[in-house]
Amino acid sequence: MRPHLPRFSRNALALGAAATLSVGVLAACSSSGSSSGTSSTTSPTSGTSTAANTTPITIGASLSLTGDFSSDGINYEHGYDLWVNDVNKAGGIDGRQVKLTILNDNSSPTQVATNYRTLISVDHVDLTFGPFSSLLTTPADSVVAHYGYAFVEGAGGAPSVFQSPANEADHNIFDVSLPIKDEMVPFVNYIASLPASQRPKTAAYPMADDPFADPPVQLAQQMLSALGVKTVYSKIFPEEAADYKAPADQVAASGAQIVVLGSTDVPTVSAFMQAFEQQHYNPKLFIAAAGPDQGASFTSVVGKANATGVMVPDGWYPGFDNAASKALVNEYVAKYGGTASSMSSDVAEAYSVGQVMEQAVKATSGTDNAKIIAYLHDASTTLTSVQGPVKFDSLGENGESDAFVFQWQNGVFDQVLPASAPGSVSIIGTKPNWAS
Amino acid sequence: MAREIYQAIVDGILVGGVYALMAVGLTLIFGVLDIINIAQGILVILGAYLSYELAARLHIDLFLGLLVTVPAMFVIGVVIQWSFIRPLRGRERTSMTLLVTYAIALILEGLLYQVFGPNFKQLNAWYVTSSVHVFGFYLPYIYLFGFALAVALVAALYALLYRTRFGRSVRATMQDETAARLVGIDTNRVAAITFGIGVAVTAAGGMVYGATSGGFNPNSGYDLISRLLAIIILGGLGSIGGALAASVFMLTLEALVDVWSPNWAIVVFYAALVLVLLIRPTGFFGRQPVRAQ
Amino acid sequence: MSGLAKRSAKFAWPLALIAAAAVFPVVFPNPVVTNYGVFTLIFVIVASAWNVFSGYSGYISLGHAVFFGSGAYALGIAATDWHVTGTATFALLPLTAIVGALIAVPFGLVALRVRRHTFIVITIAVFFIFQLMAYNFSFTGGSIGVSSPFLPWQAATYNNPFYYIALGCAVGTIAVAWLIRRSRFGLQLRAIRDDEDRARGLGVRAMRVKLTAFALSGAVTAVAGGVWFFYLTQVQPPSGFDPLFDLSVVLMAFLGGLGTVSGPILGALIIEPGQLYLTATFTNGYLSEILLGAVFLAVVLFMPRGIVPTGGEWVTRMRTRGRPAITPPAPVAADAETAEARQ
Repeated sequence: MRPHLPRFSRNALALGAAATLSVGVLAACSSSGSSSGTSSTTSPTSGTSTAANTTPITIGASLSLTGDFSSDGINYEHGYDLWVNDVNKAGGIDGRQVKLTILNDNSSPTQVATNYRTLISVDHVDLTFGPFSSLLTTPADSVVAHYGYAFVEGAGGAPSVFQSPANEADHNIFDVSLPIKDEMVPFVNYIASLPASQRPKTAAYPMADDPFADPPVQLAQQMLSALGVKTVYSKIFPEEAADYKAPADQVAASGAQIVVLGSTDVPTVSAFMQAFEQQHYNPKLFIAAAGPDQGASFTSVVGKANATGVMVPDGWYPGFDNAASKALVNEYVAKYGGTASSMSSDVAEAYSVGQVMEQAVKATSGTDNAKIIAYLHDASTTLTSVQGPVKFDSLGENGESDAFVFQWQNGVFDQVLPASAPGSVSIIGTKPNWAS
Repeated sequence: MAREIYQAIVDGILVGGVYALMAVGLTLIFGVLDIINIAQGILVILGAYLSYELAARLHIDLFLGLLVTVPAMFVIGVVIQWSFIRPLRGRERTSMTLLVTYAIALILEGLLYQVFGPNFKQLNAWYVTSSVHVFGFYLPYIYLFGFALAVALVAALYALLYRTRFGRSVRATMQDETAARLVGIDTNRVAAITFGIGVAVTAAGGMVYGATSGGFNPNSGYDLISRLLAIIILGGLGSIGGALAASVFMLTLEALVDVWSPNWAIVVFYAALVLVLLIRPTGFFGRQPVRAQ
Repeated sequence: MSGLAKRSAKFAWPLALIAAAAVFPVVFPNPVVTNYGVFTLIFVIVASAWNVFSGYSGYISLGHAVFFGSGAYALGIAATDWHVTGTATFALLPLTAIVGALIAVPFGLVALRVRRHTFIVITIAVFFIFQLMAYNFSFTGGSIGVSSPFLPWQAATYNNPFYYIALGCAVGTIAVAWLIRRSRFGLQLRAIRDDEDRARGLGVRAMRVKLTAFALSGAVTAVAGGVWFFYLTQVQPPSGFDPLFDLSVVLMAFLGGLGTVSGPILGALIIEPGQLYLTATFTNGYLSEILLGAVFLAVVLFMPRGIVPTGGEWVTRMRTRGRPAITPPAPVAADAETAEARQ
C-alpha cells in the first residue's frame, strides 16, 4: 500500500481547509447582523418615525489613510471628525447623536468599492460620505448609486466624476466644493484687468497628467491666449514623474512671465520651484492648481520666504471671513496644533460635507436618502457651509461656490482675488526673487 | 531649439549622476548575490530620511553627514542580508528573493510612516538651490557635487574590486560561486559584506535624491525601483561603471525626448531598454552570460 | 472497486468544492460576502493563469498586469465603441482573451529570448510601457480612463452574475492548469524549468512551448481583467496597470506552492480576502504594512515550498508515524519450510 496520500486528495484537502478558512473570514466580517441579507433595493428609510427618535445616525465613509493620497486622506479624517464632535456637542441632529465609521481604502479602487459595500450592507449605515479624489469617487459611486444613497463629497471635482454613468443614471453625487474647471478664472480676470502696458506677454502651462489638474489650466490657457498672452510652453508630463528637472528647466528656458502649473501635490510644485531657483529664473506670476493650499505641508518643504508670491485657486482658506469657518480654524489649531495658515483646505472641505448632510437631514426630518437626493437637487435649496454657500445643479456640482485665488505673503496665506471680493488683500503683483 | 537640446543634454548628464548613485548599489548586489533587491527604492528613501534627521536635529551638513549615514546603512545592509537573504536557497530562490525583498520594503515603509508620517520632507543646503553659470547654462551645485560623488564612489569601488584581496573574492564569487567556495573563499561573508556595501552606497544616493526630488515621503520609493532596474540591466548586471554609463545615457535620452513630449519621455526610457536588450542581451558592459541557469 | 469508479472517486473532492462554491451566494447572500467572493475568484483565475506560465516554466513574470489591464481596457473600449450596453457586455469577454493572446505574442517573442533576472526586468519594462501608453493615448481616455456600461440591477443581487461568471472562468482555468500539468506539454514546460539547455538538447522546441504557455496565461489573465473592470465599472491607468499587482500574484502562487495546481488557488483564497479585510479595518497608521511584510517574511523563510507541498508532507508524516518506510523482508520461518520441502 502506498504510504502517502495521492496528490489529488492531498490538494483537495488543502483546498477544503482554505475554503473553510476563507468562509470563516467572510462569515466573521459579515457577522454583524446580516443573516438574511435584506439590503433594500430602494433607499433605506430609517428614523422617520413621528415620535422623538434618539437612535444614533450612522454615517460611513472610506478614506485613503494609507497609500498615494494618505496626506490628504488624513486631513479629511480630521475634518469629518471635527464635524462629528461639533454636531454631537450641540446635541446631535434633531436630538440624534452621529456615529461615523471610517474605513481605509489605501487609495485603491478595488478596496473602495468593497468598503462602501461593507458600510452599507454590513454596518447598515444610514448615510454615506465620499472618499478622497476624483479617481476613487467614480468607482465608489457605482456601488453607492445602486443602493440609492446620496453621495455627498468634497474631493471629487473633476468633470469625469459628474459625467460618470452612475451619476448620469442616478444623480446622487453632490460635490460641496468648487467645481475645478473654472477655478483659474479670477486669475485670468486679474490679468485682463491690468493695463496693456503692464500685462505680461508670455505664459507657460506645464501640466501633470491628471483629470483634476488639467481642465482649469487648459481653460486658463485658452482665455489668456485670447487676451493676447503668448503661450511659450504647454506640455503634459506624467503624474508619477520621478524627477521634474527636465520639464522645469524647459519652462525656465522659455522665460515665460506667467507660469500656470497644473499640479496635484506639494512635491511637484516644490520641484518646479527648486529648478526655477537653480536656473535663476523667476516668473512675474506663479500660480499652481494644488499644493500651496496644503498649509504647513507646503511651507515646510519650500520655506516661507520662497513661498511668498505663489498663488493657488481654491474655494476656501483659513482666513475666510465666515463665523463658522473661523470657529473651525480655532478648533483645528486647538486640537492638532500649528497655526491657522498651517491648515489644509481638505479639512474645511470635509467639514462642509458634514454640514451639508446635516442640513439635508434636518430639512427632510430623517435619513431617507431618496428624499435627501430630491431636496439637494431642488432648485430652491441653498445651504451654508464653512466654504460658503452651496447649491447643486442637476449633475451635483456646486454652482454657488465662488473661486478665489490665494497667495502666500510672508508666511501668511491670504485671499487676493477677486480683488473686489470681501476679505481680499492686495496682491503681490510681481513675485519676489528667490530667497536663499 | 538648439539651446533646448543642449539644456536637455546637460540635464540628462547631471540627473544621470544622481541615478547612478542610487543604481550602483543595486548592480553590485545583483552581480554578487544574484538577486533583484526590490527594497532598493525604500532604502534610498531611508538614506534620505537619515540625512534629514542629521541635518534637522544636529545641523550637520548633508555631505558631512554621509560619514555617519554610510556606515549606518552598511550595518543595516549586513543585518538584512544575514537575517533574511542568506537562508534562501533552492529552486525557487528567484521568487523567494523577490518576495523577501518586497517584504523588507513593506516593513521599512511602514516603519518610516510610523516615525515620520506622510508629510513631505526636503533636504536643504546652500548648494541645493544655487548654481554656477557656465557657457550660458546654470549648473546647480548639488548636481555637480552629486555627479562628482558618483564618479568618486565608482572609482573607489573599482579600487576595492581590483586592488584588494577582498575585491578578488568578490569578483570570484561573481564569476562562479561554487568555484569560489572550492578555492576557499567564504562566500557567505563575501555576500554579507557586499550587500552591506551596496546599501551603504545607497545612503549617498538617498541624500542626493532627498535634496533634488522636491519633497519625499515613504511612498516615494516605488517610482524609483523600476527605473533603477532598467538602468542596471542596460548597464550590465554587476558592472559598476556600466551603471554610471547607463544612468547618464538613459537620463539624457529621456531629457531629450522631454523637449518634445514629457509624457512620451518615460516610455522611451523603457522602450530603449527593451530595444537594447534585443540587440545586446547582456547590456552595455555586462559580463555575465544572460543565458546561464 | 473498478478502475472507472476509482478514477471518478478522485474527482469527488474537487466536484464537492465546486458545488460548495456554486451554492455559496445562496448560503451567504450578503453583497459584501459575494463582493469578497468576486474579487477572490478573480485572483484565483489570475494566480492560476500566472502559475501555468511562471510556475511551470520557471520564468517569473512581473508583467502580467499588462494582460489584466489590457483586458479591462479592451472590454471598456469595445463596449463604448460598439455601443454595447447591459448584460450584452459579458458577450465581449472572449474578445479580451483574444486581445490578451495577441499582446502575448510580440511580448513573448521579445521577452522569452532572455532568462531569469533579465526576463523579469523586461516584463517590468513592458508593464510600464503599457501603463504609460494608457495615460498617453486618447482612445484609452488618458488619465480619466474608461467606464463600463451602467447596469440598472438591484443592489442585493448585483454581485451574483459576476460571481458565477468568475466562478465559471476559475473552474475553467483550473481545469486547463490541471490538464496541462498531466500532459506532455506540461512535461516540456517543467523540463525547461529544470534545465532549458538540456531540454532543448532532448528535442523540446523551447521557444514554441514557452510562447504557447505565455499566450494562454495572458489570454486568461485578460479575461479576468475584463470581469474585474465590468464589476468595478471603471479602469484608469494606475488601477488597471497596478505595479503591485504582480507581486501580490507571485505571493499567492508562492504561498500555495509554485508549480502545483491547487497552490495558487489556496494562496488567492487566503490572501485576497485577508488583504481586503485587513486594509479596511487597519486604519491605525501603517501597522498593517509592517504586519503584512512580516507575514511574507515568515512564509518565505519557514514555508519555502508553499503550503500545499509542505502541508502534504506534514500529512504524510502524520499518517506514517511509527511505520517503517520499507516493509522488512519475510521472517526466517520460511527458510525452514523450504528446507523441509527439499528433504
